[in-house]
Amino acid sequence: MSEQPSDLPSSASDYVSIERTFKRFTVGQRWEHAILMASFTVLLLTGLVQKYRSTPWSQTILSTPERLKDIQTTHHIFALILAAEVIYHIGRALFLIAKRRLSVNMLPTWNDIKDAGRMVLYLLFLTKKKPEFGKYNFEQKFTYWFLFFGIGVMVISGFIIWFPITATDYLPGGIIPAAKLAHSTEAVIAGLFVVVWHFYHVHFQRLNLSMFTGRLSEKEMREHHTSEYNRLAGHTSEGTPDLKGHDQ
Amino acid sequence: VKTKAFIAIITWLFTLLTLLFAMLFLAVPSSSTIAAPSEQNPTPPAAPESPYGNAPLQLSIADKVCLDCHGKPGLSMTLENGEEWDLSLTPDEHVNSIHGKLGYACVQCHTQVGNYPHPSFSAEDARDASLKLYTACERCHYYEYELNQDSVHARALQAGIREAAICTDCHTAHNVRQLYDSKTGKILPDARLWIPQTCAQCHNAIYQKYLTSVHGSALTQENNPDVPTCIDCHGVHNIPDPTTAEFRLKSPQICAKCHTDPALMDKYGISTDVLNTYVADFHGTTLVLFEQKTPDQQFNTPVCYDCHGIHDISRVDDPQKGLEIRENLLARCKECHPQATSNFPSAWLSHYIPSPDEYPAVYYVNLFYKFFIPSVLGGMAVLVVLDIGRRTRDRFYKQRSIVGETRATPTIQPDNPINQMGPQAEENPSEAETSPEEPDEKESKNVSSKEDQNIDTHPLDSDNNEV
Repeated sequence: MSEQPSDLPSSASDYVSIERTFKRFTVGQRWEHAILMASFTVLLLTGLVQKYRSTPWSQTILSTPERLKDIQTTHHIFALILAAEVIYHIGRALFLIAKRRLSVNMLPTWNDIKDAGRMVLYLLFLTKKKPEFGKYNFEQKFTYWFLFFGIGVMVISGFIIWFPITATDYLPGGIIPAAKLAHSTEAVIAGLFVVVWHFYHVHFQRLNLSMFTGRLSEKEMREHHTSEYNRLAGHTSEGTPDLKGHDQ
Repeated sequence: VKTKAFIAIITWLFTLLTLLFAMLFLAVPSSSTIAAPSEQNPTPPAAPESPYGNAPLQLSIADKVCLDCHGKPGLSMTLENGEEWDLSLTPDEHVNSIHGKLGYACVQCHTQVGNYPHPSFSAEDARDASLKLYTACERCHYYEYELNQDSVHARALQAGIREAAICTDCHTAHNVRQLYDSKTGKILPDARLWIPQTCAQCHNAIYQKYLTSVHGSALTQENNPDVPTCIDCHGVHNIPDPTTAEFRLKSPQICAKCHTDPALMDKYGISTDVLNTYVADFHGTTLVLFEQKTPDQQFNTPVCYDCHGIHDISRVDDPQKGLEIRENLLARCKECHPQATSNFPSAWLSHYIPSPDEYPAVYYVNLFYKFFIPSVLGGMAVLVVLDIGRRTRDRFYKQRSIVGETRATPTIQPDNPINQMGPQAEENPSEAETSPEEPDEKESKNVSSKEDQNIDTHPLDSDNNEV
């Protein structure tokens, strides 16, 4: 491997290879995820304790009006943080749309549904071929959009039940209990979704820390985002010989 | 010795843990359930059977002796404040009282009087005399007397308020009436009418309000046996202070005693879900929370009487005050939510259980999630389980294949199609990548085991790959 930098170990017998990494998330996106993660966790914890108020564990926590007030205040502060994050996220997307620079990678396509179908066939041992994914596979798109709409429901219903008097200035009163029910139920779904679906895919199926490091290794790209990898490799003129150079 | 000590410690720990768990198990159900409406008024023990069979209508000899002097009008004594204290009574008063009917003699209550001349007795005034003598009731009516010691009246008395009601203020001293059916132990229909009148002696303003209420008017005008009198809500003898936070917090249980009882409510077509729906909605939820842990909390969440009124409770369809009329309800809401506008009252479910007719928004949101939760979470769970299954099987297969064949797989193979495929790769998954015998995943795993010392570099070109 002639292109190897000099500071790398160069014993001929070693299977040493240079692994390229691919940038996946920008620093901004990683910060957004961190803020979302923190506010989501706090909101879920402070919310569930209010939802399950008839259980002894919750009542131990919420035993006095002062405690309840503190928990509600915390919930409201983090609700504002999350709402700000949602506004920033949507605002940024609109800005990029206006500039014709928004990537369409995250938009769900017909192919994602086909991918999901292929994946089920693969998981059922009906085919040996795993579907190839682009930059974001159907599972990741589903996670994004499920949480996008879930958080949308949470933010809207949350503000309605936070300011019921203002809300009923414009909306019928029945919207308040409906929003309360939706808020409370959607929270559980979102929580379970993150644990069952998201945690499974990023922690148990494989440890995918790209949301924190911002990068995916070449191996991960090749294995899990084959189409995207192929696309990038096809476009990178110097990339192709370099890839070949990896082979022993 | 060490082993023995160790075993002893383990046994001890195990016992402790078992005990702890047992305690937890016992403690959890009691604290988790919403307290059932508590019995505020234990039915007093049935009136004692007359020791003389049928009530004797003539006075006992001993009573005759007393009445020789006290039966004549005008007998009195001068108290310390100079007040003349009437000591006479008509024989009928005692004879017609429940005590007289059962044959009790004067001296059974007046135990201190002895023979004539009586031992000296003095009191500051008539009230003081009553306060000195009423304790005689305790001898027979010990249970009621003790209950009364916890009452708001007894506490006021202890605090120096001499006007606070004592036994004789409600029951009278000599005209004590029969209140309970001695056979059934149930309160007599007439006695129910007397109760508000008795309380009205001191609490007249409340009595006047009560008379106008749905309960009070039904009692006084129809002699309705189902409506509550004072004691049904406030208790009898151990009447609690209704101004405490604890009373307020527990008050919904008072209403619930009757209003969750279908036997009573069905007659009048009143819903028995009022407590459930209250507890499930905004206001009741907070109340139940504190009721469990800190029942002495001051809190501003409304209880039943904050909306329905305390003593002037009216029918919900009452044109003046009924809460079914939107303006009346809004007026109630505004007491705590001054900014509320006309849409606001229906933010409260009004004790309705949402249905397509009542609160359809809530009903359909609930219906939506009933289907949405199982389908989404179920689908997710199925995919995850399938994925785990496939991976477990692949790993097992891979391990076998590694043992069987130690052929090194060139990494280049998956990259080969790159040059031909280009951006179209998504649409046409390449056949070359996955030879039937060897899934590509296996290959790359094989390789990765050799690439343990990978060096992570960030060539410029991949940095620019960001989209």
